[in-house]
Amino acid sequence: MKNRQFPRARLDCLSREFDSELLVYDPQRNVGHCLNSTAAAAWKLCDGNNSLSQITRTLSRQLAARVDESVVLLALDRLADAHLLVAEEVRVERPSRRLAIRRIGMAAAIALPLVTSIVAPTPAQAASCVHNNQPCSSNAMCCSGVCVPIVGRCLGG
Amino acid sequence: MKKLDRLDWAEGLTVSTFGVRAGVRVNVTGLLPRVLPLLPPGWKKSARVIVQRLYSLLVAQGCERTGMRRLHVLYADSTQVARGAALDQVLAAFETDLHRYTAEAASDVTFLHAGVVGWQGSAIVLPGRSFSGKTTLVREMLRLGATYYSDEFAVVDNSGLVHPFARPLGIRDNSSPTETKYTAERLGAASGIKPLPMGMAVICKYEAGARWRPAPLSQGLGALELLANSVAVRSQPHHTLRRLHTLAKEAVFIQGTRGEASEAAASILNLSCGRERLEVA
Repeated sequence: MKNRQFPRARLDCLSREFDSELLVYDPQRNVGHCLNSTAAAAWKLCDGNNSLSQITRTLSRQLAARVDESVVLLALDRLADAHLLVAEEVRVERPSRRLAIRRIGMAAAIALPLVTSIVAPTPAQAASCVHNNQPCSSNAMCCSGVCVPIVGRCLGG
Repeated sequence: MKKLDRLDWAEGLTVSTFGVRAGVRVNVTGLLPRVLPLLPPGWKKSARVIVQRLYSLLVAQGCERTGMRRLHVLYADSTQVARGAALDQVLAAFETDLHRYTAEAASDVTFLHAGVVGWQGSAIVLPGRSFSGKTTLVREMLRLGATYYSDEFAVVDNSGLVHPFARPLGIRDNSSPTETKYTAERLGAASGIKPLPMGMAVICKYEAGARWRPAPLSQGLGALELLANSVAVRSQPHHTLRRLHTLAKEAVFIQGTRGEASEAAASILNLSCGRERLEVA
């Protein structure tokens, strides 16, 4: 319960700022995330000491716009889904995303918090490979990772 | 490994590329000239004996018993990576494995899976997975006067400059599923030598008949696309993020779906000239 009230960002993630966005890499899960300005600002305020209302107030000041608490809740929701917050020990009732977005409304002066994620590639995925039924002599050559030795051709991919 | 070491090796050499040292040994005299063109671009002979990866190529010689098929075998250290009756295929596996290993093990530079051309003092980087049409687009840009840097990897150093990895382009003809290798010079283009700053990164996918209408992409999302094509991000996340940050600092990112490569190539080169017009507001 405490974690939800005083959310804490994971310290083992690596991050770099790109303008107002934040590129975050999670080395435990091998996932990369791009946090837009609102999500990035909220994530940076999750130090385990700031309460929800404190984050809301500070965000309003930083973004020079009135930020509703539901925006912060939505941001925390998305950050938690991306595993960028220290996991909650006790699951708490979250407002539904749809409800939160409806409450924020069209008149929101700031961008809705957004977290875009990708799975980091393995070295084999980040290199050219051979497709189905094309000649091969090793599994590593095939996109599918399966080279049938008898025929010397890739299977699938 | 000891068993392999006990075999009779006819010749071998040690090479260094982007700080990665690899060795290759063969059991047949006269085979090394066929191996040399497969080494990563920019390789140099190394006098050091200790290597990070040792390739052992056992070429099948003479069939003593009829009805028995002899296979060529390639080992990387003590692991068998390829085996086959066609030597060309085994050599292709050697090339694939060595290039991948170099891209993964290099710590002074970061390898991104991308096509790269040089254009008016900047690099245009086309990140994308296999079969996303990188080579086709690169080839088309070369036809329009761009300088060839790579159709496989963008090599990024600590200053965020993109180095050439100018291996011959692997072009798949419509009639054949396999690649034919063409040097840039054979296609009438020049290969780049000087490292360049990235001026533009283009995230595009191919769809038959699609019209090329590129849209700007924010730096963060653009960097995420580059991350999605970083070879060693899992093993070297710190280096990768730092270099991507430097690389993307001054660059413009665009994305779109392309149909014919010629339309997209001309548009990208034009946009790259006046790239400030496309910057995200």
